[in-house]
Amino acid sequence: MQYRQVQMIGGKFHSAVRGLATDSRGWLYAAGDSRIQVFDPAGALQRQWTTPRPPHSVAVAGDGSVYVGQEARIDIFDASGKPVRAWTNLGILGPVTALGFVGNSVLAADAADRAIRRFDLTGRFLNHIGKNNPVNGFLIPNGVLDFAVDAHGVIHAANPGKHRVERYSPAGDLLGHIGKFDGNDPAGFTGCCNPTNLAVSDRIYVTEKAVPRAKAYDFSGKLLAVIASSVFDPNVKNMSIAAAPRGRVYVVDTVKLAILAFEPVAP
Amino acid sequence: MSGLTRRALLGTAVRGTVLATMGGGAAFLVQKAHGQVVWQVDAARCINSRLGEAGVEACNLCTTECVVALSAVRAVNEYSKCGRCNICPAYFNITSAVDDLGLPSEKLCPRDAIERKPIGKVDPEDPANNFYEYIIDEVKCDGCGKCAIKCKEPLGLGSIVLKVRYDKCVNCNRCAISEKCPKDALQQLPVGQALR
Ligand code: SF4
Ligand code: SF4
Ligand code: SF4
Repeated sequence: MQYRQVQMIGGKFHSAVRGLATDSRGWLYAAGDSRIQVFDPAGALQRQWTTPRPPHSVAVAGDGSVYVGQEARIDIFDASGKPVRAWTNLGILGPVTALGFVGNSVLAADAADRAIRRFDLTGRFLNHIGKNNPVNGFLIPNGVLDFAVDAHGVIHAANPGKHRVERYSPAGDLLGHIGKFDGNDPAGFTGCCNPTNLAVSDRIYVTEKAVPRAKAYDFSGKLLAVIASSVFDPNVKNMSIAAAPRGRVYVVDTVKLAILAFEPVAP
Repeated sequence: MSGLTRRALLGTAVRGTVLATMGGGAAFLVQKAHGQVVWQVDAARCINSRLGEAGVEACNLCTTECVVALSAVRAVNEYSKCGRCNICPAYFNITSAVDDLGLPSEKLCPRDAIERKPIGKVDPEDPANNFYEYIIDEVKCDGCGKCAIKCKEPLGLGSIVLKVRYDKCVNCNRCAISEKCPKDALQQLPVGQALR
């Protein structure tokens, strides 16, 4: 299976692009600098709005509202970018580096606590995910905790220090994992800590740093494709990734401050 | 780090001091005269730790050019920055074959100067379920920089850097390494600043 680059969105960010998300139409939401920017599938900027603090993550709920993760807070906007609510008292210790939804709950990755927190729709804490282990959380020397939720409500979380993608139930039970360390075989994860970021649709997409790579796996952990590698600046780290319809994948180049889109090549 | 680099100092006579070797670098430095300057590696300039370059070979001139046997430069792990990773690219040769435990089978350091120690009790079910401490034996280390370059971002966290050790350095008027350093990374710092 092979992918080709179909788009590059550049020149829109000044200092950072940290988080990506897509909505049900395949529109792309990018969290960077101190704003959210929304692009249509052709890569045209359709909307943008500022955030109270530099955003680390973004996610679009089923009703179209946009959740933005920042340092120790989550801000919720309507689809047009109008502020709706600010959750500032969640007990989150550090940057919210990933957001997601499962059932009637909101999931937030707390990179300082090295765990995912689950809240109800009013912001009431329900439970931790990934904290009940001998190291008291995920091993994220890279400073970013990323996860995604599949169509069955299973949470897939990158645990880069273990070179794994772990699966959790919403209640926090560890269900299993894929991946292992390998410094040569591209099917493995290399370096001290990879994969750093991931997205899930009908497959699992991950990014790695040093060597920078975007890759696709099936749910059994079989490598399907190295989507791209040499196109990324060698110094990238924590490249956010998002999946869109028709197998399209968006990946951030954190050095070039650009978003690259890739699509599978028809066999 | 601010200070005077070799090029800024050429032509300026800096009085050297004959130094007696003492236990720790800090203890040694406080005994030096007020206003004295000492040499130090600027990690932001050294090839082995400067950011923004990937795929370059380690520079070992700090080992080969220093007038002191085995060099006065050592690799130092700044623990506050270290990720305490299970697989440290500065400790393991990460492209060597993976062993039965899922770890790279070869170490990186040519002098076997780095020790890997689990922090706390190892989970017998899953050794990856642990933090590991990486301790550099300064008796063995010769400052070759191989570990530092593998520790730097984005592969590692940049916690291992090269430093002049003041219990070994004889504080040459013109540091012999600075004469050859391709990045002009050896700086003369006032003692107070070097201690900080
Ligand atoms: S000579 Fe300069 S670049 Fe080379 S290891 Fe020493 S400080 Fe670094
Ligand atoms: S600098 Fe060289 S000798 Fe010293 S610990 Fe690192 S690899 Fe080993
Ligand atoms: S001043 Fe002399 S002894 Fe000290 S690091 Fe430089 S060459 Fe070595």
